Amino acid sequence: MFVNKKRCVAMLLAGGQGSRLKVLTENTAKPAVPFGGKYRIIDFPLSNCVNSGIDTVGILTQYQPLELNEYIGNGQPWGLNKSHCCAQVLPPYAQSKKSEWYKGTANAIYQNLAFISRFNPEYVLILSGDHIYKMDYAAMINFHEKTGADCTIAVRDVPMEEASRFGIMNTHPDGTIYEFEEKPKVPKSTNASMGIYVFKWSILRDYLTADENDPNSDNDFGKNIIPNLLNDGRKLMAYGFEGYWKDVGTIDSLWEANMELLGKNPEFDIRGTGRNKIYARNSAMPSSYVDAKAKTVNCFIAEGSEIFGSVKNSIVSVGCYIGEGATVENSVLMPGTVIEAGAIVRHAILGENSRVCANAVVGGTFAEGEKKEISVTQKNATVPANSVLFPGEML
Amino acid sequence: MNLMGIIFANIYDSSLGELTNKRTMASLPYGGRYRQIDFALSNMTACGIRHIGIISRYNYQSLMNHIGSGEEWDLEMQEGGLEFLTPYASGTSSSFKGKLDALNSAMDFLEFGEEEYVILADPGMVYNIDLKAVVEAHIASGKDITVVTKPGVANGKKRLDMAITVKDGAITDMAVDYEAPEGYLASIGLFVISKDLLIHEVKESVARNLYRFERDFVLRQYLAGNLSVNIYTYDGIVLFTESTEEYYKANLATIDPDIRKGLFRGAHPIYTKVRDQVPSYYGEGCNLEDCTLADGCMLEGTVRNSVLFRHVNVGAGAVIEDSVIMNDTVVGENAYLKCVILDKDVVVSPGARLVGTPTNPVILKRGETV
Repeated sequence: MFVNKKRCVAMLLAGGQGSRLKVLTENTAKPAVPFGGKYRIIDFPLSNCVNSGIDTVGILTQYQPLELNEYIGNGQPWGLNKSHCCAQVLPPYAQSKKSEWYKGTANAIYQNLAFISRFNPEYVLILSGDHIYKMDYAAMINFHEKTGADCTIAVRDVPMEEASRFGIMNTHPDGTIYEFEEKPKVPKSTNASMGIYVFKWSILRDYLTADENDPNSDNDFGKNIIPNLLNDGRKLMAYGFEGYWKDVGTIDSLWEANMELLGKNPEFDIRGTGRNKIYARNSAMPSSYVDAKAKTVNCFIAEGSEIFGSVKNSIVSVGCYIGEGATVENSVLMPGTVIEAGAIVRHAILGENSRVCANAVVGGTFAEGEKKEISVTQKNATVPANSVLFPGEML
Repeated sequence: MNLMGIIFANIYDSSLGELTNKRTMASLPYGGRYRQIDFALSNMTACGIRHIGIISRYNYQSLMNHIGSGEEWDLEMQEGGLEFLTPYASGTSSSFKGKLDALNSAMDFLEFGEEEYVILADPGMVYNIDLKAVVEAHIASGKDITVVTKPGVANGKKRLDMAITVKDGAITDMAVDYEAPEGYLASIGLFVISKDLLIHEVKESVARNLYRFERDFVLRQYLAGNLSVNIYTYDGIVLFTESTEEYYKANLATIDPDIRKGLFRGAHPIYTKVRDQVPSYYGEGCNLEDCTLADGCMLEGTVRNSVLFRHVNVGAGAVIEDSVIMNDTVVGENAYLKCVILDKDVVVSPGARLVGTPTNPVILKRGETV
């Protein structure tokens, strides 16, 4: 690869287990979890990179990397397979003296300093593979450059009552960060970190190296690197982001984020052209088919699906089948799901290629204001005929 | 397998009128999300062919745009891969005099290829066939050429490029450009032949002012006793799109489950250019009955027995029946369309009314507004 100098290299942390997604991440890394009918979570940060003109992305994998590696492939769906750019999957590897798993987010980047060095970048963008959003990283990098900061952290305003669930950046009026508090009991402000950092490459390199030499460190950006920068009086800036941004780390939030795609004026508009488009690896599926007996109301249905039953307020991913007389409401069907005739599915997330056999019932309905208990099936699960999977139950 | 492929993108001036005014037969949109050439390309690559020439003389911009480097079909390669066999800066838009003429123009491609056999395909028909089985049958037959045929097409009205009858494994009649009666097997424009024989025959024929592959080569040499012909009868789905009416019917045919299964979930997947559209959105008031839909549609109206390509907007109160609606079209609120083919980028104004018949569908040209 011919490389002179890159302005910015992105490093995408995609190694998280996502254990709060429970059965959905039993055999799949969280960034590879399907979303929105034909996407996977990682498509959002990856597409954002491409749309922001960042053409070199290191993807750090660790937990259950097989599916994710296969999905990324050579980066072709995102246009990252050209001679001047790449999407490089970076699993932990055996080095000459030692070989180890990624100990923490900072250590994962540290172990791949050589990858970044090859591009001799001005800046390094650190991303996580856990969020659904569209963001122009170029604007953030320009802001970082203009302010001359050592590190810029994207933040968004959260309601005060939720602030104690986030890492909070306390700033001066000019946006300089003077304090970072991880999940503060009594938050001083509502600037929640989005886990998106832009570093000067030299600063990042030095701090990661120092951190690695500190045996007491957790090797984590939030716990170690950011506090160390603050202690040393480095210039840290908060970059405010106001668009849709959703952590899909739990079953409830994953379900909600899918539902927020629906409607004529959705909370998050997944459509887009030009630099607002989300790219995904496409499967070679024919058009979907909707039968005369089917009913389709307020739903997304992806290619390769066949609909004979009733679908309402739902996401139907590629290659699904909904049989005659079946009802699907307020649910997310991941790719290849089969709902046999007469089955009823409500408030559920059904994992890839799972099957709800004839007349089975999955999930339930909830009164206004009542907490919705989402039923979940894992990949390849089968709900037997005439059986029941109760609200909130997992299979 | 030791095979190369040749696809004739546009041999004759097409009988598809305005639909092929600015594109080749090969790049004609088909089946909601494909171009007709996707079938020939996918058939060839599925059996391991990695060296394919596409012969085109004019109007090939949309085709090149669709195929690009061929990466969707795994044809972006260092060696072999895909070659566009187009004339150098031809100022004229004349068509070839026939397939032999077209092959003669691709002589370099044929002569430099190292493969032993050539498969010739015509994108005027769509089918999902296991070419490996066809080639194996060809080799096992020991004959000079294999003609792939489909029973049940000949009806006494449709003019077939080549029609054949077979009894007890032996050819009893062979005819070209013939409105063959029922019982004849129709050639689907798919041939297997050794490369050396093809090169020889092309040179000999063109030197004698003979240009038509079926008439001047296969039939003439067969009748002269110089060519042994193997007939491979294919029982799967084959749809002809050689006239506007056939094209219209062949598209609506994909609504039928058996045809969809045979075409799209047959021997192998059919690959096409990726467009990265979002899934289709079905609004509160939409009503769909017996339709196929590609990604990216926004549906608020009623659609019956129709094929919707990618990114079609159907406004509230609009009704579409028995129609083929190509990509990036907008059907305004309360419009009514019946037996219509909308080419790409057409805008139908709110309340407009367009009614054709199954034998004479209304066609709106690319980019038109009504």
